[in-house]
Amino acid sequence: MPALSQKLVNRLVIAAVIIGFLTVGVAGLLGARALQQNLNYTAWVTHTYQVQQALSDYRILNERVETARRGFLLSRDPQFLVVYERAKRELYPALDQIEELTGDNAVQQSNIKGLRLLLGNQLEALDNSVEAAKAGRAQDRFGVDEGVASTRAIRAITDRMSREERAKLLERDADRRASVADLTRILSVAGVLLVVTGLGSLWVILAFTRDLTASRNQLARLNAGLEDEVQARTADLQRANDEIQRFAYIVSHDLRSPLVNVMGFTSELEASVKPLASMVAKAEAEAPGLVTTDARLAVESDLPEAIGFIRNSTQKMDRLINAILQLSRQGRRVLVPEKVDVQKLMEGIAGSLKHRSDEVGATIEVTPGLPTLITDRLAFEQIFSNLVENALKYLKPGRPGQIQVRGQRLPGGRVQFEVIDNGRGVDAKDHERIFELFRRSGAQDQPGEGIGLAHVRALAYRLGGTVTVESALDQGATFRVSLPAKLSLEGAAE
Amino acid sequence: MNDTRHVTIVMIEDDEGHARLIEKNIRRAGIMNEIRHFPDGTSALSYLQFDAAGPAMNGPALVLLDLNLPDMSGTDILAKIKSDDRLKRTPVVVLTTTDDKVEIQRCYDLGCNVYITKPVNYESFADAIRQLGLFLSVIQVPEAAG
Repeated sequence: MPALSQKLVNRLVIAAVIIGFLTVGVAGLLGARALQQNLNYTAWVTHTYQVQQALSDYRILNERVETARRGFLLSRDPQFLVVYERAKRELYPALDQIEELTGDNAVQQSNIKGLRLLLGNQLEALDNSVEAAKAGRAQDRFGVDEGVASTRAIRAITDRMSREERAKLLERDADRRASVADLTRILSVAGVLLVVTGLGSLWVILAFTRDLTASRNQLARLNAGLEDEVQARTADLQRANDEIQRFAYIVSHDLRSPLVNVMGFTSELEASVKPLASMVAKAEAEAPGLVTTDARLAVESDLPEAIGFIRNSTQKMDRLINAILQLSRQGRRVLVPEKVDVQKLMEGIAGSLKHRSDEVGATIEVTPGLPTLITDRLAFEQIFSNLVENALKYLKPGRPGQIQVRGQRLPGGRVQFEVIDNGRGVDAKDHERIFELFRRSGAQDQPGEGIGLAHVRALAYRLGGTVTVESALDQGATFRVSLPAKLSLEGAAE
Repeated sequence: MNDTRHVTIVMIEDDEGHARLIEKNIRRAGIMNEIRHFPDGTSALSYLQFDAAGPAMNGPALVLLDLNLPDMSGTDILAKIKSDDRLKRTPVVVLTTTDDKVEIQRCYDLGCNVYITKPVNYESFADAIRQLGLFLSVIQVPEAAG
């Protein structure tokens, strides 16, 4: 799968999962609200039942008052009077309770107002009839008793109130049912969504885990491959390096062989010139006519000159070949890491060059406290004796030479040494060039083939280090050698 | 001097120039012994081992050996000479350009009698050959074996 579409798919999946969980959350909230509503409705239904109960209590009391009055009126039994009085006392509190319970319902409140009015009338009428009975008057107005009418009216109102409450109950019950149905629907939808989201998440996690496992396996494979690759490369490099060393060695040897001939026969030629020259001189003295100017010049100047050039060139070639041989030998030498007391070694170098430095009026100062390290002593010594010798060699004429050797530990297990001089310096354009074989910089007024620094760099590389120069013309030079504090032979091209 | 007169100098050297320079300088040193020159290892070995006039059959000899030969390594020839019962007492002077320490040690291990590096500097070269001439004039070479 291309990277871009993979990214898109990942985003879509994440968005879907987020949307799924959000929906589930919303569904949960809605469900909670519906549940709360349901509880509310249930409370209202209970309330309605309570109102109904209070109403029916009131109606019973109402009937009891009426019945007790009638009983008294008919039998004049004071027992009925006791019941009548007790029921009468309970009527108002019962009405108050209903009023309190239906405080939220305007219709019922107005009903209660009517009820209260009727109750006053009723009780007055009833009391009147009871007082009359007590006084012994005949029960002649029984039929037109106002109390009976009031009681009937009260009955009608309470019936109405009861119906009202029943209607409310039905309404509230319907609401409750509706809310339960809503809740059921919401919960079903939420459940389906939850299952879908869960399955989706599961699928994504499984796919992701599978990918992860595959990637890890691939990484492990690549890692193993990389190690093999590195080993193969190292072996290749090793072979290439060995090949170059062998090549340099063979070439320099095979070049030497013809050089022996060139130099040998040049000497033979030179030797042959001598008798010829004396013959020409003798001929010139005895028979000047025989000697041409050309012959005389050839013997006297051309031949010696040619022989001289051949000789110089072959000598130079011999030195170059020897330099290559030396480098090749150095490259093949087995390094032996050992603890090197740098302080002592540097002072040794300065001491061995004391004669030379006194001769040119230069001082070599080895800063005390140079760090020790574990490296190949011979190679290390070669590097620094070359550098210090160079510093002595390329002083600025007319300026007393000051050469300083410094050193310090660097982070990362490396050690850096500096050879600082105040000599003639190296032009910036030659900073890399001077480390190349047979290349030199500045005025060619000193003997040498351009080998020393090439050698220094090759040795520094072999020791796992680097060498750089910082310098400007006439400003002196600082050669910096950075080496590992501990030479490990596996890392070096051995 | 009479004893050494009939000692044959067997020179195994592929470079004609070197051979000529060696011969010239030997003669200059006053050594008049016969010099047999072979430019390769094969012909040299067949002379040494099988030729009727060769050292294995007849007469003492001294071998001047170059190590860099076209057909075989000089050390192989040295090994063959030193492992041949009839030739092993024949002095062998290795005269070559190789100045590798390991190579020199190997030659001595194989029984080489003298190892001389050919200097590029001709004066040194001529010197070395002259000294070799002096050496040749005093050396006692065994008669043919058997």
